[in-house]
Amino acid sequence: MLDDLSLTIPARRGLGIIGRNGAGKSTLLRIIGGAEQPTVGDVVRKGRVSWPLGFAGGFNGSLTGEENCRFVARIYGLQYDHVIDKTREFAEIGDYFFMPVRTYSSGMRARVAFGLSMAIDFDMYLVDEITSVGDKLFRKKCRAAFAERRERAGLIMVSHEPATLVDYCDSCALLDAGKLWVYDSVAEAMAAYEEKVPA
Amino acid sequence: MRDLKLVRGLTQQAEVVFAVVMRETRTRFGASQLGYLWALIEPTLVIFTFYLVFKVAHRAVPPGMDLFSFIATGVVPYTLFASSVTRVAAAIDSNKALLYYPQVQPLDLVLARAVLEAATFVAVFIFLLGGHALFTQRLELESPLTVVMGLAMASMLGTTLGLILCCLGEYSTAVERARGPMLRPLFWISGIFFTAEALPEGARAALLWNPLLHATELVRSGWFRSYDQHHVDVAYVAAWIGGLALTGLMLERTVRSRIEMS
Repeated sequence: MLDDLSLTIPARRGLGIIGRNGAGKSTLLRIIGGAEQPTVGDVVRKGRVSWPLGFAGGFNGSLTGEENCRFVARIYGLQYDHVIDKTREFAEIGDYFFMPVRTYSSGMRARVAFGLSMAIDFDMYLVDEITSVGDKLFRKKCRAAFAERRERAGLIMVSHEPATLVDYCDSCALLDAGKLWVYDSVAEAMAAYEEKVPA
Repeated sequence: MRDLKLVRGLTQQAEVVFAVVMRETRTRFGASQLGYLWALIEPTLVIFTFYLVFKVAHRAVPPGMDLFSFIATGVVPYTLFASSVTRVAAAIDSNKALLYYPQVQPLDLVLARAVLEAATFVAVFIFLLGGHALFTQRLELESPLTVVMGLAMASMLGTTLGLILCCLGEYSTAVERARGPMLRPLFWISGIFFTAEALPEGARAALLWNPLLHATELVRSGWFRSYDQHHVDVAYVAAWIGGLALTGLMLERTVRSRIEMS
């Protein structure tokens, strides 16, 4: 799927990745994050790399939001009290935080998941096609929190929306037929994409 | 530098396994009202059932042993083994979502379940046999280490076999269905109802091929002052465990990519 691909991503860089469906964008992201091993080759990570953001599948439905956060804090070797408090404050779901996750609406799940990823200080955030969740106010809050975090942390983002990419990324890569081309701006990458994939 | 890396890797794995153990404890026992007590109640019921059957049938127990302890020292290692197989075999399937976190690897899930089963059944053992000793004002426990070794054998045999089934299960669902019928005969030949000492020579030689019988024998000889076993071959059981572990770990490597893709 990915063929002889070598890439160095500097710290604090915001890299967008575009490509057609099934080109391997999510696979690439998962390999970078370590959720999947490459068949051949290595990934060297310096600093703490996030799981692909917006993902709430790692939550167990029979555990409460609090317990799920404790688990994640533990596997990252962090003080869980701190992580739990920050997540609870950010998610703003009140006492639901202490109820089993299976009683949550999808919006509430997303709130906890996003809050949790903000509560842990990652050096590099991976974002896979973040679909906007929650009401307008919460979306605004997410954007603000994320923009603030971007000043200290890098980002790799997969998206089909040029507008989102422009907001967060200072460079952009096009993934096609297992090869990756890196461009200095989202606009250039989009132009190359249009060329390769006639609309 | 390399050493540091190894230490850091081990610390992280320990953290992950611990986190999964805590989580599993909650998901497994936390849901019901009685919670952790269930882990104790289940084997207790099994033992009392056999206790009644033995009483009604007037079956004799080996000299120097009381009926309750005789059954308990057989049921606990067997159940530890069977439960480890079952729980470990489903370890990856039921926690697949966790593999999304990069530091959680399939083997961590397996290890966590093995640890939880072992801890549970050690608690069960202490609860049942300690409780019985309190009740009768008479404690046997000739050699704690021998008991621990027997239980460790049962745990490791179950875990390694479970790992193999877990990996094969990624290829075919038939494995899961075959598991029950495959394990059931072990219930009758692993020394829950007899000691190796009491068997006729021919039967004994045949049944000692079963490594689980060695585990039961160790537990009993460690527990009862009056019972000395003469047939346990630790190296033989270790060879079983080593062979099963090697096979399981090799299989895990071959199915790893399959697990992550799905």
